[in-house]
Amino acid sequence: MKRPSILLRSLVIVYVGALLALPLGFVFQQALSHGWGQFWIALHDHAMDLAIILSLKVVVLAVPLNVLFGVGVSMWIVRHPSPLSRFIDVIIDIPLAISPIIVGLILELAYAQNGWFGSAFAAAGLRIMFSYPAIVLASVFVSLPLVSRQVIPLLREVGDHQEQTAATLGAKPSRIFFTITMRSIAWAAAYGVTLTLARVLGEYGAVLIVSGNIALITQTLTLNIGANFESFNAYQGFVGALLLALVSVIVLVFIGVARHRLERKRHVSFV
Amino acid sequence: MPVAPTNSLDVEVARPPQPWWSGLRSAGLDSAKSITGKSLVVGYLSLLILIPVAALVDNAFKGGLGSFWSQATSTEALDAIKLTVLCSFVAAMVNAIAGTATAYVLVRDRFIGRSALNAIIDLPFALPTVVAGITFYTLYGPHSPFHVNITGTWIGVTVAIMFVTLPFSVRSVEPVLESLTIDAEAAASTLGASSFYVFRTITLPAIMPALLTGTGLAFARALGEYGSVVFISNNIPYHSEIASSYVYSLVSSGQNAAAASVAMLLLVGALCVLIVSNVVARRLARRRG
Repeated sequence: MKRPSILLRSLVIVYVGALLALPLGFVFQQALSHGWGQFWIALHDHAMDLAIILSLKVVVLAVPLNVLFGVGVSMWIVRHPSPLSRFIDVIIDIPLAISPIIVGLILELAYAQNGWFGSAFAAAGLRIMFSYPAIVLASVFVSLPLVSRQVIPLLREVGDHQEQTAATLGAKPSRIFFTITMRSIAWAAAYGVTLTLARVLGEYGAVLIVSGNIALITQTLTLNIGANFESFNAYQGFVGALLLALVSVIVLVFIGVARHRLERKRHVSFV
Repeated sequence: MPVAPTNSLDVEVARPPQPWWSGLRSAGLDSAKSITGKSLVVGYLSLLILIPVAALVDNAFKGGLGSFWSQATSTEALDAIKLTVLCSFVAAMVNAIAGTATAYVLVRDRFIGRSALNAIIDLPFALPTVVAGITFYTLYGPHSPFHVNITGTWIGVTVAIMFVTLPFSVRSVEPVLESLTIDAEAAASTLGASSFYVFRTITLPAIMPALLTGTGLAFARALGEYGSVVFISNNIPYHSEIASSYVYSLVSSGQNAAAASVAMLLLVGALCVLIVSNVVARRLARRRG
């Protein structure tokens, strides 16, 4: 086999470097451009710290919700197929085709005070829009299929012979799930969880609409970065951006490891 | 509980003897449990997806078909949609070529730093869009360290979209290239074909279906992109405003019906792109057999 020429290799490296690596490096350069002392002070910005706490609170609820749902719905779709489960299989991919702004819009149309269910919820004393539940709802929406898209193909591939064998030997469903099923899908699930975490932590458009973007109250870290940048406090914005960029580097490393593990199982997966 | 034999396990396995009521009780419990689980899933999906989408359709067509169409195709909406489609198309095409080249180098070449290149391809999935947005604005804006200002132009919007969509092309082509046997390519090159001719006549037709699906995904994603584009585009109506940012301006000024109409058009457009690219890719794959 002939290797690609050095020219092609160099062109690819320059393209990917300019388009992806340069912006990533630039975030670090900007955030540290005023020295470590300034950086340390900027880290303790009150509004940003509240935003970080809110973002973490959203992650703590939205990610486990999506993992539970993703694994459960994958089991249903693969192990107990029916017309209904095939319909669900199509429905759960919808969030990937919808613009984050439209996600925000449709959640508002359904759950705002003047929306379809807003008044019903308000009568029950529940306020969904422009508060924590709305942010969780939007985050869950945009990252809904990320776990199941990884788990479904792997579940299909490994088949259910081991599970059936265990069942005939008298193992309880929970034991079958944790000792057999969970073990074979662990890396795919971990890969999906990592993508979910990155998406939830980084969501901007949908959260911008449903949260109302109220500083100190419903501002997540991404919203805080955007707000700082727009109010000519770009440096503070880049300090927040550096934190998220650090997380994304960790996510990239983990994605690399997980994909390597999955490929060893002859399972190819992407996106 | 026996797992329902969905895939064929052809052998009937003898079960240990059990009391007569055990089957009865476990069957009842089992179906009750699974019905609860299924209704939970259906209810959850309804609250999350189906009801909000229904609310969108309701709001878009509240004033009738005429008002939907006039709101979705107002001059400002059309200008925003045109710009978005143009930039998404250019970015998807550039990345179809660059993404194929990248996947080709990743699969066929071996060099120091290859795994770093492989890892950074996924950056757009991991890096929040708003971080990319402010970074591009600072890199290529009024105070650019390179002294280029492409804010408020279609080039700026296209660059931001190129960033977001690169992994779609690379990651859809890569597995196909990996599974491709190189016999035909090797035979062609020993017969004296140039490497570009080999690529065009042998490799490209094989990866075409995957490339098409990946480009379709990238294009659909680009149509709705917001965070990474909104800063560099400057959002000047009729000039550099993208579709999602027009929808946002309508929502934030309380014009929900108009916002729903434009959103409806965008959503249908994105779904059509996904369906068409999938169907064509499947046809291509089938013709190759």
